[in-house]
Amino acid sequence: MTKYLLKRLLHGLISVVIVVAIVMILVYSLMSREVIFARDGTFTKRSNNDREIYKYTQWEKFGYLDYVPYSEYMQQLAKDGEIDEETRAAAVSIAKEADNDPEIVKEYVEKFTEYYEGKGYTVVRLDPVMLTKTKLDVGGRQQLFAYKDYPLFRRLWTYFTGILKVDDVNYVEDDIEDRGLTFTLHDPIYGGDKFSPAIIGNGTKHKYLLYFDSNFPYLHQNLLTVNLGLSYSVNNGVDVFDTMTQSQGAYVTSTITYPTGLTEEAAYDLHTATYAPGSRDSSPMFSDRFTDDYTNVSLHRANMSKTGYSFVIGIISVVMAYLLSMPLGILMARNKDKLVDKIGTLYIVFILAVPSLAYIFLFKALGGLAGLPTTFMMEGETWLMYVLPIISLALPSIANLMKWLRRYMIDQMNSDYVKFARSGGLSEGEIFSKHILKNAAIPIVHGIPASVLGALVGAIITERVYLVPGAGNLLTTAINNYDNGVIVGLTLFYAMLSILSIILGDILMAMVDPRISFSTKAR
Amino acid sequence: MENKVVNVSGLGLSEEELFARVDHNDLDSEKIAAPRYSYWHSVMRVFFKKKFNIVILILLAIIVAFAYIYPMFSGYDKFGKVLVEGAKHLSPKQAIEMHGFSIHWIFGAGGVGQSTFDAMWSGARISLSLAFICAAINMTIGVVVGAVWGFSKKVDIFMTEVYNIIGNVPYILLISVLVMILSASFWTMVFALTVTGWLSIAYFIRTQVVIIRDREYNLASKCLGTSTFRIAMKNILPFMVSVIVTVAATEIPSYISYEVFLSYIGLSMSDMSLGKLIYEAEGSMLTPGFQFEFWCPVVLASIITIVLYVVGQNLGDASDPKTHM
Repeated sequence: MTKYLLKRLLHGLISVVIVVAIVMILVYSLMSREVIFARDGTFTKRSNNDREIYKYTQWEKFGYLDYVPYSEYMQQLAKDGEIDEETRAAAVSIAKEADNDPEIVKEYVEKFTEYYEGKGYTVVRLDPVMLTKTKLDVGGRQQLFAYKDYPLFRRLWTYFTGILKVDDVNYVEDDIEDRGLTFTLHDPIYGGDKFSPAIIGNGTKHKYLLYFDSNFPYLHQNLLTVNLGLSYSVNNGVDVFDTMTQSQGAYVTSTITYPTGLTEEAAYDLHTATYAPGSRDSSPMFSDRFTDDYTNVSLHRANMSKTGYSFVIGIISVVMAYLLSMPLGILMARNKDKLVDKIGTLYIVFILAVPSLAYIFLFKALGGLAGLPTTFMMEGETWLMYVLPIISLALPSIANLMKWLRRYMIDQMNSDYVKFARSGGLSEGEIFSKHILKNAAIPIVHGIPASVLGALVGAIITERVYLVPGAGNLLTTAINNYDNGVIVGLTLFYAMLSILSIILGDILMAMVDPRISFSTKAR
Repeated sequence: MENKVVNVSGLGLSEEELFARVDHNDLDSEKIAAPRYSYWHSVMRVFFKKKFNIVILILLAIIVAFAYIYPMFSGYDKFGKVLVEGAKHLSPKQAIEMHGFSIHWIFGAGGVGQSTFDAMWSGARISLSLAFICAAINMTIGVVVGAVWGFSKKVDIFMTEVYNIIGNVPYILLISVLVMILSASFWTMVFALTVTGWLSIAYFIRTQVVIIRDREYNLASKCLGTSTFRIAMKNILPFMVSVIVTVAATEIPSYISYEVFLSYIGLSMSDMSLGKLIYEAEGSMLTPGFQFEFWCPVVLASIITIVLYVVGQNLGDASDPKTHM
């Protein structure tokens, strides 16, 4: 059984890699790469050659290509000790026209070109954009750089190897003292008296690698971070995983004591501190508060994360759907072709045939008439706001579950074991609850993991109609904003969930029904 | 029973006609005397036995005819704008007061002052065409591929893998990339909905074929030397007809629903389909008094999908030979 499941899991992971590869081809190769700047303010502000350079740096950032400016190449040479600093300084500035380059520049430009063209790069020299004969236009400086599009396999490799990152003490490149991890029983953030174990790193990216606080799930870690892909336009510079899991809404302030002893009312969460090189020297704001360069902290916010909202709404509606559809489905099957069955069928036809948009708006209109809040607001959140989204999600899945349960039960009703049970003198109630339901529920059970995990994904239309700040609209928003990082990251997330839910469904089914076995022997 | 004596000579028939010698015939005795059974004839008989089916079929015919014929005469132009002041967002009453009574204005006017009634039917025509074309393409490919998929074990391994992979590529992403590369035209939408849409149908058909393929009567047929093609055509296809009709019955309305969904999340085509009308009228939904504009296309889309679904399901039921008794 375990072997079989491991094989399935491995198989699933391979399909996930292929899915991600297909999506990468779709978004990186088939879509025009210019579109990512559609909503970028910096891009519009830049002009001439500056804009070109900006484009290449951004494309490098978001995984389209590898971009090497000439100056970087020279710096690398100097660092490797191939040339001294003087030669570098002399050779780094190129002239307006290639013909006018000084001898030393010419020599190194040639080397640069030869080296990168040999590696399959394209070397580009942009001539200056002149306003007058002598005056440069804004951003019109001459440029020299090399670039190469990442091939698919390279891109896949860097993506998958970068998903899980373990923090280590050699993360910080600067020269710092006492690299290492310290374990303390008294977290200094709580003043050093309160018992609260924590692991504090020096030289790592995060200062607090393991700590306790008062928020669910109380024990937090920063040792292992998940990177699904950087966002560009949806949530600039933030990873998809963080976009989905970070809390939202208004800031929550509390009295904070900084490492220097300064106390103030702020929303900072000191446990999230990450390393920002040279930040203490750059601003007194940091040097007043922190004793080291772990100054980059995030803020406490009042509301749940996107996935949190989607999951709360989703999971309640899933539970409701299963609890309600079971008795309703049984009722329909027991009263086959009677009035109850006909009303149920009418409802099922309505939900299955009518566009989902239509009935969600219908529920919204009816809910509005009943006095329920029809839009979601993070400020002044009440539990009443959850009612309509939950109903809108639950009612269609009730119809679906009812339909299948009724179908399976009616199929079972004609089997021999039912006739046998009846001839043995069991009451109809006993036959239904003890024999038919157990058999009919097996295929239904298979779908439970899928619906539970599906709640993490969120619902597109429901969340849009009721303005729920959930995760359901993330993919459509990312597509509309051409945010490739988010698209790839979400695809991976969705694909993993769907693979996992099928495997979990099989396991659950095997647990419920002892006749089903996945070991090869039984086959 | 009362015995009645008839004088045969009085009938005026010749001796030969009255009495003919019938010999024992081995061949004839093999024939089974049963009422003639024609499959499609029985399907129609079962289907039309219910009065409800006749009513709903007529309703479907009216909707389809109206959707295809009315826009030819209504003069609806999707780019048209009524520039008269106060002609936008009219309730039916206001519109009739303003323009005089005609069929155009019985549902009022929309956001650009155009007749909602005209727009609705023009949208219905596009949505119905999309649904019929996509269903025809997907059903054809799906059934053929599904049959092969179910029969061949080699194809099965390969196709199941393909199905698992393609099924996990977000559909919305695929459609939006296609719309971006090509253009947001009607045929792009058809292409986007059919490029992977046949897979789920093929998978369903495959499962049905697998179930029937290994039944005893097929095994017997195979042992007697029937070719695979003949087994597929004569032994399995008749079983599949009702399944195929039922799938088609859910597929056709689902394309209309799906188009509405795609339009709502901003992936609409350039033509004024029902989905796009709903998308454009969404703003009116939020304005008190204008909701009517929003509900008109929504209700029409719902009626069309329900009617198509019910007709299809009942036809599917009727095409199941078990109901022909």
